[in-house]
Amino acid sequence: MNVQPFTSESYSGDAGEAAWQDVLRGFGLQSQGARHGSPAHASALSRLSSTGVRLGKFSADAQSLRPLPSRAGLPLLLMPVENSTVLVAGDDRQIVAAGQLILAPRGADWQLQFQRGLRAVVLSVPAEAFRGRKVPPLAGAQPRVFGAEGLPDIVGRTALATAEALDRLSEAEWEAVAQSAADLLLALSGELVAATSDPSSSRAALLQRLYATIERSIGSEDISIADIAKAEGISERYVQKLFEGTGESFSHYLRERRLQRAWHDLANPAEAAVPIAEIAYRCGFADAAHFSRLFRERFGLPPRELRRREADRQTHSAVASGQRGWPQEALVQLRARQAASGPVRRPAPRGDGDDAGTPVPEAPARHYLPVHAQHVHWGYFSRSLEPLIEIASGDIVTVETLTQHASDDPERMIEGDPGAESVFHWTSTDKTVNRRGAGPLDASVFGRGAGEGFGVHICTGPIAVHGAQPGDVLEVHILDIEPRRSRHPAHAGRVFGSSVAAWWGYHYSELLSEPHPRECVTIYEIVTDTAEPYARALHSYRWEPQTDPSGVQHVLYDYPGVLVRPGTVTLQAKVLEGVRIPLRPHFGVIAVAPREAELVDSVPPAYFGGNLDNWRLGKGATVYLPVSVPGALLSVGDPHAAQGDGELSGTAIECSMTGTFRVTLHKKADIGGSVLADLTYPLIETPEDWVLTGFSHPNYLAEFGASSQSEVYAKSSLDLAMRDAFRKMRRFLMTTKALSEDEAVALMSAAVDFGITQVVDGNWGVHAILSKRLFAQHERGESGPEC
Amino acid sequence: MTKHHLPATPDTVHWGYFSKTLAPVLTLKSGDRAVIESITHHANDDYARMIEGDRAAEEIFLWTKDQKTLRRRGAGATDGPFTYGSGEGLGVHLLTGPVAIEGAEPGDIIEVRVIDTWPRPSANPAYAGRFFGSNPAANWGFQYKDLIEGPAPREVVTIYELDMGEASVKALYSYLWTPQTDPDGITHPTIDYPGVRVDHTTIVKKEGILAGISVPARLHFGTMGLAPAEADFVSTIPPNYTGGNMDDWRIAKGARMYYPVAVPGGLFSCGDAHASQGDSELSGTAIEISLTGEFEFILHKKEELDGTILEGLTHPILENDDVWSVYGFSVANYLSELGPDHQSEILKRGSLDSAMRDAFRKLRRFLMTTQKLSEDEAISLMSVAADFAVTQVVDANWGVTGSIRKSLFPAR
Repeated sequence: MNVQPFTSESYSGDAGEAAWQDVLRGFGLQSQGARHGSPAHASALSRLSSTGVRLGKFSADAQSLRPLPSRAGLPLLLMPVENSTVLVAGDDRQIVAAGQLILAPRGADWQLQFQRGLRAVVLSVPAEAFRGRKVPPLAGAQPRVFGAEGLPDIVGRTALATAEALDRLSEAEWEAVAQSAADLLLALSGELVAATSDPSSSRAALLQRLYATIERSIGSEDISIADIAKAEGISERYVQKLFEGTGESFSHYLRERRLQRAWHDLANPAEAAVPIAEIAYRCGFADAAHFSRLFRERFGLPPRELRRREADRQTHSAVASGQRGWPQEALVQLRARQAASGPVRRPAPRGDGDDAGTPVPEAPARHYLPVHAQHVHWGYFSRSLEPLIEIASGDIVTVETLTQHASDDPERMIEGDPGAESVFHWTSTDKTVNRRGAGPLDASVFGRGAGEGFGVHICTGPIAVHGAQPGDVLEVHILDIEPRRSRHPAHAGRVFGSSVAAWWGYHYSELLSEPHPRECVTIYEIVTDTAEPYARALHSYRWEPQTDPSGVQHVLYDYPGVLVRPGTVTLQAKVLEGVRIPLRPHFGVIAVAPREAELVDSVPPAYFGGNLDNWRLGKGATVYLPVSVPGALLSVGDPHAAQGDGELSGTAIECSMTGTFRVTLHKKADIGGSVLADLTYPLIETPEDWVLTGFSHPNYLAEFGASSQSEVYAKSSLDLAMRDAFRKMRRFLMTTKALSEDEAVALMSAAVDFGITQVVDGNWGVHAILSKRLFAQHERGESGPEC
Repeated sequence: MTKHHLPATPDTVHWGYFSKTLAPVLTLKSGDRAVIESITHHANDDYARMIEGDRAAEEIFLWTKDQKTLRRRGAGATDGPFTYGSGEGLGVHLLTGPVAIEGAEPGDIIEVRVIDTWPRPSANPAYAGRFFGSNPAANWGFQYKDLIEGPAPREVVTIYELDMGEASVKALYSYLWTPQTDPDGITHPTIDYPGVRVDHTTIVKKEGILAGISVPARLHFGTMGLAPAEADFVSTIPPNYTGGNMDDWRIAKGARMYYPVAVPGGLFSCGDAHASQGDSELSGTAIEISLTGEFEFILHKKEELDGTILEGLTHPILENDDVWSVYGFSVANYLSELGPDHQSEILKRGSLDSAMRDAFRKLRRFLMTTQKLSEDEAISLMSVAADFAVTQVVDANWGVTGSIRKSLFPAR
């Protein structure tokens, strides 16, 4: 999204001042004389449209703003909010109250003195925004102040309302609003023309009205100079004279505007389905062939070609700004197609036949699930996957998992390791794990690859649990976690991980240093042969476009498992020198299959577990998951060597690991009165604490229905996740500890710690930690699942 | 080093506001220590246990038809007619101070080390030597509009006892808030003005609550900070760039807080002590108790900050044996960002989303400035090793704490 948040708080010292001037420069403004002494503060939220319309809301310490030397475009619209300002133009000084509008020509001599702090909304519209439509001549015009009534009031309110909603508008909404704001500003600028002291001003105003009339009648094929003259109540001759004064004939201007309008409509993705002949007709060209010829003469390419190029450009820009999950439109098309297709099937095993057979009936048995191409599903959960093995309640299963980020350093994390090589194997003719993500196999949405990377985690599984039925609870206890060692001769026995500061990271929209945006991969070594194991950074590199074996170029890190080839990136040594990161080995993903959809993106966590990304889920911890499909279908993946609360950059230290789990099934009938009664979310238990997982949308699949896998990314919020965590903890205390609501609320305020789990997985997380110590002498409720 | 003693008396406390216009009640030199008493503004929730027999508390809370020792409570209007009372309860915390540090100037940093904290015993012979606190689930709490049992909405006060031997706190009883009429005749249907004595004949005590549950003690001062420069009277409720109502239980014994100085002398005040609090302070208050603290004050002059962890600091940070923490707020400096109506505007701005944004930016800046990391290094390290937690969701300007362990870094 092209919303640009800015605050001087991000910067140290003078860098903040320079960055603030950069923001203002985007609007054709500069700041003068921020008051010194107290720390200078400035913040802004601004957004730029594809046609160059820029709207921003500023909040800063007292200072003066002046226009930069001339830039073509409409006058700037400035609207002081809350505080008044002083407009100085030549010798004139005028106080402008909050809520009034200032229309100030670019590059002219004026300044605005915000003496009690700068708080304003600013709209900047360049000439290009109108694609050839005439902008009134404003040389020599003076800034003008408008009260809040009539047209100025409408313009002001539009600007203000848009500024307030700037970061909540979708791309399409913003483009529409920006264009409307530009049109409104154009209309208002007409008033400025009328007010210039130039003797030709009334003529200019009249001309401006003629232009507006032409805009309204562009669609009628036989619009004539006589019609226009009549509409204004003047003679045809006078109309001709007025146009001659601009150096352009009426008929030439009319044709130019029609062609420009056609260009605009052809380039609009929302109109992609409208036949070209219809667009031509709507712009006043009854003959499509004639239109094509004129269009080619004017723009040097046929209409069809323009449309194709624009479509390419749109796709490219969507890729460059990054988008997670399904776009809405694609989901609509998917539903139509899905009716015809069958369930997901894993490719048939290719020979080595080491799948475990039928489970041994007497528990507890031990099972071992090695990782290779036939044992993983990549980037999605599915209720339709055939289980690899079926285990009994109480069995112990050891599961090898791979990090999807092993491809960031294939030499250290893949080569020589048969399991990893099998999963990551990808040549121009052969890709062992083809589907990566819940997207379409033919990559018809973005063209990134099969599955579109809508979901990225390599999950080992699924494991069916004998007798598990919806309504039961599956207990997954982590007995051990062992890192997976490199098998490459040069690094054998050592352990490596990767952390990517990716485009889905929390930081991505507001990087400080150049170039931005950028993605940065840091390779870590995990040092385990010491009393206190730790991770240290080896080197980092900036992500460079990578071409995968299928020939698709990945400008961004938008598809998992694309092997980064040596020589395509520049390694930077001496990264985080001397910094030792204590390990917190855990599995980011532990999931049972969700019931709502056939294919579910592995990125957003929800009631079924999944990408919980909570580092407390390490050795000795347990997660309880509500079963929603027969057999439960347990999968594990996304191993992490260390992660902070927040997982800010988008990833942890992603490191292949092997986990040993004791899996216990709690039947619905047996859990009444225990902590598992009524469990509808992943509940984590550590030796010391209960950790409840709150999400922006606790069951986004049910909440958003068919559009869930798109909506969940659009509506992330910690405020919602906090609300969810609060409600879950209240329920937990009332249900399992038999507290009244008042007791529960009191205890939460005095003794429950709320923390931020992650702000990068679409469905953001806040967890609530309840210490078991509180209940050492408490007898009212149950303390654990006694089954 | 000199050790001073600052008792809580009507002359050494101010109620509900920070103000650069207050004359210091004590002036210290850098390096001096002071023992400062504080009395909780919730003491009147149980007058018998928390005020009666304690002469200083009795005087401070004294309010009859004819006499009100501390008239102004809050940064609001002091000319009637009042909606709630003088100061309008726009700020509620009873603070002791201000303490000036000699030579402190805007741009400097004042370090406050919490050497020790201990509770103030009840002076009522019936409870002599015991320690009590109060925890109202109040109208500004996160739960207030989201209650599932009736009557809704409601405010509930829980009275706790602190056991210093066990270092734990246990609930004694609770009661539903009932409309209380103050000596000036204003009725308070909700908890809307501090220091109104709850008439225990109007309430019904509920005993046996939270039975068997003991909350580990986390003694700390919820509010510690310096006077801001932007306005003469500033509500104590929203925390801000000079500190104030941080409500972080980690600001406890062993902590060092660093505050940017905004006015000459710094003007430090403290109060709002808590026996314990969870991250989020969900119901609107912690277990509010009267504590006394011993503090050491160190002045770091502006010109000596470069190359230290205080370089470029424009907001409070915490240091203890384990971590450095920065505090993100919904609005980083609401006094300068929100315009003339900042004190009411901030009440609408509470959001964890904006507080997380602020915490991220502050921690990135801290790592880049003081640990000399590149931006890419800072971001990678924050993702794999920094922990973000919810500080509070009840003080108007909501908080997210970003903490980074000191042990990550080699000795420099």
